[in-house]
Amino acid sequence: MPDTTAKTTIELRILRYCPSTDTEPAFGSFQVPYSDDMSVLQALQEIKATLDGSLAFRWSCRMAVCGSCGMMINGEPKLACNTFLRDLAPGPVTVEPLQNFPIERDLVVTVGDFVKKIESIYPYVMPKVPKTVEEGTYLQTPSQMEAYASFADCINCMLCYAACPQYGANPDFIGPGAMALLQRYSSDSRDGGQQARLDQIRGEDGVWSCTAVGICSEVCPKQVDPANAVNQNKSNSALDFFLSGLRKESVT
Amino acid sequence: MSVPKDSPLPKRTIAPLFWLLFGAGGMLSALFGPALILITGIMIPHGWGVPERLGSYDTVLAFARNPLGKLVLLALIALLFWHAAERLFLTLHDMRVGTVTVLRWLTYGVAFVLTIVTAVVLLMVGF
Amino acid sequence: MSERRPYLRPQPRTWWAHPPYRAYTIRELCGVALAVYGAILLAGLVCLARGPAAFESYRAFLASPLSLALHLLLLAAALWHMVTWFRILPKTMPKLVWHGKLVPQALMTQAATLLAVGCSVALLALVVVVGAWS
Repeated sequence: MPDTTAKTTIELRILRYCPSTDTEPAFGSFQVPYSDDMSVLQALQEIKATLDGSLAFRWSCRMAVCGSCGMMINGEPKLACNTFLRDLAPGPVTVEPLQNFPIERDLVVTVGDFVKKIESIYPYVMPKVPKTVEEGTYLQTPSQMEAYASFADCINCMLCYAACPQYGANPDFIGPGAMALLQRYSSDSRDGGQQARLDQIRGEDGVWSCTAVGICSEVCPKQVDPANAVNQNKSNSALDFFLSGLRKESVT
Repeated sequence: MSVPKDSPLPKRTIAPLFWLLFGAGGMLSALFGPALILITGIMIPHGWGVPERLGSYDTVLAFARNPLGKLVLLALIALLFWHAAERLFLTLHDMRVGTVTVLRWLTYGVAFVLTIVTAVVLLMVGF
Repeated sequence: MSERRPYLRPQPRTWWAHPPYRAYTIRELCGVALAVYGAILLAGLVCLARGPAAFESYRAFLASPLSLALHLLLLAAALWHMVTWFRILPKTMPKLVWHGKLVPQALMTQAATLLAVGCSVALLALVVVVGAWS
């Protein structure tokens, strides 16, 4: 009997934190029935359904589209729905909330700061000259769309922020995800908001906090390549830095 | 579409200036660094593949007195320092050795001083 | 309403020394090795300005086994700098579209590395030719 259970279960070590009772997070261990088609998310759901109903974690789509279930799995930022127990067997599997973010409860982290950063870079198309309805739609060729399409694939899962040591060192750093979204809009042929966005990232905590570690792109589950977005904007911000003197003269 | 103006714009940083010098030095040493180290540090001093007299006082003096030679030496040496200054600044900052201001003086400040020293020595060598 | 008391785990002070960040730190320190090479060149210039005797002792140092070992180390660092430099290069560039298709970043890295090897080889060849001709 013990032999068969050893083969059909896997141990999950989960970092638990309950704000009303715990002073600091601590690991709790769970034995979960194992099958090789099970994701880590399914294991967490199994725990919540049968072992401990108080376990808190975020999830929604179960198919790597919504970006809700980001967490540290064996020390790496991953989507729990997209990470399979068969790749982690025989375990134990360590599950922690996303690194670099404040923990609300168990595997749930605070996202308000990330949302503020996204808002700060004007995450929408800002046409140079807005068209009236009579003037028709904004047209775009397939190759113009190619220029930003991959940056539009971001699902706001924040794995890149959990991987970024500069965000870990300085929570005010705008970070890879927001920069990918910035690049998505600034490289859209219909957009005219490039200068407004450059003004938002020109500071010490803007694009210049990046040290090109490049790990944000490695952990991205959607191949958005935020490191490309950040470093392209270093070039853009540098150009803006050197042109700003000239621009001020022409304005005044 | 109106642009929300709820918070003041961030203050511009001087970092792009250092980044440009870092990039220039990095590109220069990525393209020619290995060959330069091989030539001046290994081949010429040991006479491997090239005659040793390429490193003689007269030859080097003639090179350093040539205006073009001066320019090459100044650009090369200064950019190597500025490149390393940026990288050392970032690494020391990662290691939390000191505040940003202190570390900037410690790295970019030294690169600046060494750039001046290189220029002065090149002038002292004469024309 | 349940209580809110977010807990922020501090970043370890030595994060830069451990995987996956160790490779990044080594890359940065290889860049610093280039400054050592710059300092060797500058020392040569200082000796040159001080006269033939000082410059001869500088040459004697360059011919020593210690200097050879140091330069081999610097060469290794410079080569690693070259490799890593062109790995990041595509990250700093806009997306390249060629005949309606995105150019893969690995291809950009390979092309740039090849160009760098060409530059270094051309410089070496130039010096060897000048040396033989002089």
